[in-house]
Amino acid sequence: MAEQYKSLHPAKYYRDHLKHDIRPDGRELSDFRPVVINVGSIKTADGSSIVKIGNTTVVCGIKAEISRPKADAATKGFLVPNVELSPVCSSKFKPGPPSDQAQVLTQIIADIVGNSQCINLEELCIFPDKIAWCLYADLICIDYDGSLIDACALALISCLKVVSLPEVSYDPSLDKQQVNLEKRTPINVNSVFVSTTFAIFDDKLILADPTVEEENLCTGTLTIVTCNDELCYVHKPGGSPLVDEQMSDCIEKCMNRSNSIKKLIKTAILENI
Amino acid sequence: MPVDHKRINGPEESVPYELFARLSGLTSEKAFEQLYKAGKRSDGREFEEHRKIFLKNGAVSQAKGSAYIEMGQTKVIVSVFDPREIPNRSDYSLKGELYCEFKFAPFSCAKRRLHQQDNEEKQYSCIMKKALESAVCLHELPNFQVDIYALVMHNDGSALSAAITAAGVALVEAGVPMYDIITSVTVGIQQGVKLVDPDSLEEQMCQVQFLSEKYQDNNHGLLIISKLHTQEQLCQFYQNGYVSLEVLKSGLEVLSKTCEVIVPLVQKCLIKHITNGIKS
Amino acid sequence: MKEDSLVCLPGQRLSICDKIYTSGQGTYERKGYIYSMLGGVVDIVEKNGLKVLEVHSNGQNTVIPSQGDIVTAEVYIITQQHAKCHIKCIGNTVLKSSFRAIIRKEYVRVTEKDKVEIYKSFRPGDIILARVLPITEAHSYQLSTAENELGVVIAHSEHGYPMIPVSWTEMQCPKTLVKEPRKVAKVVPENMTTDILSVLQNNV
Repeated sequence: MAEQYKSLHPAKYYRDHLKHDIRPDGRELSDFRPVVINVGSIKTADGSSIVKIGNTTVVCGIKAEISRPKADAATKGFLVPNVELSPVCSSKFKPGPPSDQAQVLTQIIADIVGNSQCINLEELCIFPDKIAWCLYADLICIDYDGSLIDACALALISCLKVVSLPEVSYDPSLDKQQVNLEKRTPINVNSVFVSTTFAIFDDKLILADPTVEEENLCTGTLTIVTCNDELCYVHKPGGSPLVDEQMSDCIEKCMNRSNSIKKLIKTAILENI
Repeated sequence: MPVDHKRINGPEESVPYELFARLSGLTSEKAFEQLYKAGKRSDGREFEEHRKIFLKNGAVSQAKGSAYIEMGQTKVIVSVFDPREIPNRSDYSLKGELYCEFKFAPFSCAKRRLHQQDNEEKQYSCIMKKALESAVCLHELPNFQVDIYALVMHNDGSALSAAITAAGVALVEAGVPMYDIITSVTVGIQQGVKLVDPDSLEEQMCQVQFLSEKYQDNNHGLLIISKLHTQEQLCQFYQNGYVSLEVLKSGLEVLSKTCEVIVPLVQKCLIKHITNGIKS
Repeated sequence: MKEDSLVCLPGQRLSICDKIYTSGQGTYERKGYIYSMLGGVVDIVEKNGLKVLEVHSNGQNTVIPSQGDIVTAEVYIITQQHAKCHIKCIGNTVLKSSFRAIIRKEYVRVTEKDKVEIYKSFRPGDIILARVLPITEAHSYQLSTAENELGVVIAHSEHGYPMIPVSWTEMQCPKTLVKEPRKVAKVVPENMTTDILSVLQNNV
């Protein structure tokens, strides 16, 4: 019966719940869903992670290849993040070229990586103007239940933390490189970014970590990414306006959450080793 | 390669670093020799032993039915969605249709895969579709299409078999009418040795013909079958490489036997799902 | 459901097919036996001295609309000739994805068929009850509301308030007291679906 009500009158179904300061899945308005991180389970990748936030699941795999630096940035390597909303994750997505949403997400993730300076691209260069590492980071969503930016950002940063690259020696006089597969070293990750999404419901209520249903019904979303206790990216695509107070409240919540998430990443990596 | 404007592109050219590594010197022939001498496989299995399977339904909350399967290192996830009207069709068809897509994640194989579906993936999608078509009661879904998507997260051999078995479970969970339970197994053949459920190295080993003189038998290749359990029908058969009729016969026997080994696992998983549904 | 219910899987042989046992919903017949087509629970329904074997999966039934079913649908486009809608529920089963359907002018009501005007019967956003007509076209389902119990059950006024039925052709907004024309359904409480809808209306 509740199911029929929900299907026919989703907005009212939510309003009835939210009146009592509770969400249909049993959370309070500012509660986050449980987060699960698993790293290094995909051996064919040079680094991998699986992140679950509630039902939302994202798999990230990084594969390293050798390439030549660009002429205008001779001392820099590459980090190429791509988000894929595979048709596996929801009936909303069909096979074929990336949807607009996937393109937007890819760009957001690339911006976050760029802003946070978590990877120094110069360290990925092996010999200037000759050879450099190219890290292909592919993020694939396998269950789409909201707050996808958070899951993608978390998957990417935990994955970067466990990437290891083989030793490469380059002989400039012969223009020859030799890879030693036996000796692998991890890459330096300078900072950890944590993303938190909020949904604005009926112009006034703020729901933390929304599910896909909440995202569809809400009047606006807000994503805040923090890095080293500073803001590194804020994404608020239109929708309901917010007052400064609400904004700073959200930022505070995000800061608090980032500490626990950082701990979680650490334990996940320790468990793996 | 044409530039993909909808994704972030890396440098124009990049190559796997394995190309510059010192060769390990372990060719397929040597690997086979080791295997043959030991009488066991590198992971300690007998030749005709299947890897351990982990099978779980309901892995994707947004799908009508879904399954996650692990066979050794191979990890595959399959989603099935609600039937929908067949797009771009003007006439009424009495039978339903299946749409299958089989995809390797870019990082799932030794060599990086591209985002676009390549020929191998297309072929696997077709095989999967053909296998599942004979298991689904298509006449019950007139003018509808059921979408089935498989994503390989880690390919360590026998990924197609894993995907078909998992798709069977996902279809039952989705409540799609089916004639029977479907299971699928791969076997690799080299020099008369049959390797059930080969991993990726063994798959590679079984797909080359050994040229040195001591190997006279040139049987080599992969066989994949899908079977309907109660009706004991073979609903899909795929073979590549060179396999003589006798070896093929004995190979099929091994495959059928192994399918029967998997069926109880599938049944257990589904019964658990149904009883959980009754309790709640 | 009962604790002692009989669980079965697709392809499981349930019974011999003879004069007493016949194959029903969720089963198929092959070479004189009845097999299950779904993973679920077996039900034996007695009908005219026959025992019909049926298999029901737990709520996850893949249902598609068939002729004669009562469906709940949401109107999204109206034209002079017809109204287009999305089927949301079939009987009591809520669909995860909706099916497209169409209501032609001729099938809106029983009497004065030639005087029907779609905009006086439905508006986009209305929730209606309707019956599925035989499929004549390949693309969409045809629905009919030409019964007293069928028609609009939930509608919102121009100002966004849920309206209350005042006659079988009109609904009234409780805030502005403006009356709007609709083909209103006479809600019968025995029917499970309509029962819920009436509760819904009172809640609104």
